[in-house]
Amino acid sequence: MRTNFKANAGVRFQMLSEDQLEELFNGVLHVLEYTGLEVQHEGARDVLEEAGAWVDGERVRIPAYLVKQALASAPRSFTIFARDGNPERDIHIGPGRAHFGPGPTPPNFIDIETLERRPYVRSDARIVATICDALPNIDFCESLGTISDVHHELAATYEFAEMFPRTSKPIVAWSYGREDAEEIHRIAVAEAGGQAAFEKRPNYVHYCEPLSPLVSTIEAMDKLIFCAEHRIPVIFTPCPLAGGTAPVTAAGIVIQAAAESWMGLVVAQTLRPGLPFFMGGVLSVMDMNAMILSYGAPELSLMMAGATELAHYAGLPLWQTGGCTDSKTLDEQAALEGSLSVFFSALSGGDLCHDVGYTESGLTGSILQTVMMDEAIGYVRRITRGIEVNDETLAVDVIDTVGPDGHYLREPHTRRHFKSEFWYPTLSDRRNFEEWEMMGGTTMGERTVTRAQEIMATHEPAGIRPKTERAIEEVLAAAEERVE
Amino acid sequence: MSDVLSEISAAVIKGNKDSIADLTQDALETGQEAQTILNKGLMPGMDYVGVEFRAGNMYVPEVLRSARAMQTSMDVLKPLLVAGGVQMMGKVLLGTVKGDMHDIGKNLVGMMCEGAGFEVHDLGKDISPEAFVTAVKDFEPDIVGMSALLTTTMRSMQHTIDALQEAGVRNRVKVMIGGAPVTDTFAQQIGADGYASNAASAVDLARQFVDGA
Repeated sequence: MRTNFKANAGVRFQMLSEDQLEELFNGVLHVLEYTGLEVQHEGARDVLEEAGAWVDGERVRIPAYLVKQALASAPRSFTIFARDGNPERDIHIGPGRAHFGPGPTPPNFIDIETLERRPYVRSDARIVATICDALPNIDFCESLGTISDVHHELAATYEFAEMFPRTSKPIVAWSYGREDAEEIHRIAVAEAGGQAAFEKRPNYVHYCEPLSPLVSTIEAMDKLIFCAEHRIPVIFTPCPLAGGTAPVTAAGIVIQAAAESWMGLVVAQTLRPGLPFFMGGVLSVMDMNAMILSYGAPELSLMMAGATELAHYAGLPLWQTGGCTDSKTLDEQAALEGSLSVFFSALSGGDLCHDVGYTESGLTGSILQTVMMDEAIGYVRRITRGIEVNDETLAVDVIDTVGPDGHYLREPHTRRHFKSEFWYPTLSDRRNFEEWEMMGGTTMGERTVTRAQEIMATHEPAGIRPKTERAIEEVLAAAEERVE
Repeated sequence: MSDVLSEISAAVIKGNKDSIADLTQDALETGQEAQTILNKGLMPGMDYVGVEFRAGNMYVPEVLRSARAMQTSMDVLKPLLVAGGVQMMGKVLLGTVKGDMHDIGKNLVGMMCEGAGFEVHDLGKDISPEAFVTAVKDFEPDIVGMSALLTTTMRSMQHTIDALQEAGVRNRVKVMIGGAPVTDTFAQQIGADGYASNAASAVDLARQFVDGA
């Protein structure tokens, strides 16, 4: 027996000190109390005023104690359940658990057959869901695009209807507003076995996006309120640009993003105490020459790590960002930017890391990037698992047995551990030159494309209930009627 | 070139808003025409800024500072230019279309057009087709610029062009559009006169429109 033995179960890093985090935290409270936000949704303003916020026209200021109450009622740990009841696919949110998945709504997509950039279409949602379902290091699913070949108001509904049967990993859904949010919810609830069953075991997450700087738009609040009413785990995530729609400094943008997100938190927790809530924010720089929001900048990783540490300090899970790039194609830049950001995201322990597969600064979704990043995430996860230290792993007795000039290949200790201690690549090549050449002399990019195509040709996701299939048909028919 | 004109160019390049008003007065007092100050002092400065920006040597905040310096000088020169019957660069009407609240790109276009000598009237964001039509009638711009960030609100650009057509004012203006999801193809589809992928090329496009007119 040991006493007072302290062990690190994995590799983590802490960037900001307790004092610095307290400064950031107080900065957020200050902005919410003294500057306030423009809340354009009248119902949300009423909820906030009733709770004790100060409402002056559309400007809402929230005294710090109210924010602290909301933080106290929001859970730090909860579970998003796989729709098919497979516990290995549940997502447990909690300290030291980093999960990864794609992002929503780029207008373009890289075709996995022709490798051309073209508008995102309905069948792409099936491809993304099927491939995400098969990738071992992708934990949740998003569409990587906005469907362009259905009625424009129904893009989100069709997207969910196409993805839900093709992946049993939890989906992060988005919608334009309340009507399509309802349609999506009807599909998820059919599979869960009714609203009451869904509330106990939620099987998807909804995504709302307020506007920077400091505006809670009608749509964002309407969706948030819908989620609170139906106990749908919710992400409230602004997209501020440092130097453009937010302060240029990393500390400043973290404070502003948190204030924007926590306005949603206060509304959500007032309406539905205990609602699973992800603090959000895609935080990066506005490139002052290219004039884009950079998805490959080192500052993105740095600012996201700052936001993660602040969220965890405040007791909230964070909607992280990584695996994305400003590159237009599956090249060295895409690998560099994507890999470093997933590594940093995993180190910070951000809870759901999205945008794995964003390219061209968020304008083009690429499932090929996601496939390549699945490899990077596997690599990173081996590192963040850290070094286990106990009698078995110290192997002092094995060292003694083998002694000088021996070898370890036949040792039971080696056989016991070589599979779990080592990570084995899927896409990276470790063969010698001759074998590599004999196997076609391919690049990692070429192998990535082949893997995506092979998954599409062979992978069979777990099915949905027949009842849910009917529900999807009904929802789509009713949705078409709605827009007629 | 006279010293004061090159000092004005330098003040534009450095974005020295505080000194440029005095420099402009000095130039006028030493007998320079307002037109000469514009063409040989301010414009060479802004042209240099444009070249350096495209080369990646200057950045947006610096360009905006230069544009602001140019504006400060123009505030002094404009009444003289107008009184002298000089044709101004042209008038630009800007707005982010109905349903869209994302306006930072449009704001940039406005500031950079002003820097290039255009008179800019910015309607703001979430602007309905009707509001664009009314403003075209009231402000009589040469160019209408529309922006959208969302794929959903892009369609409002089409509606606005249709509304200009119906009101019988479409032929009076050139229409340029921009925003992250907007493309040249989309501009052609909806019958816009041009598309710019960023604020600097929007200024180039606006120049082409007024030069060609």
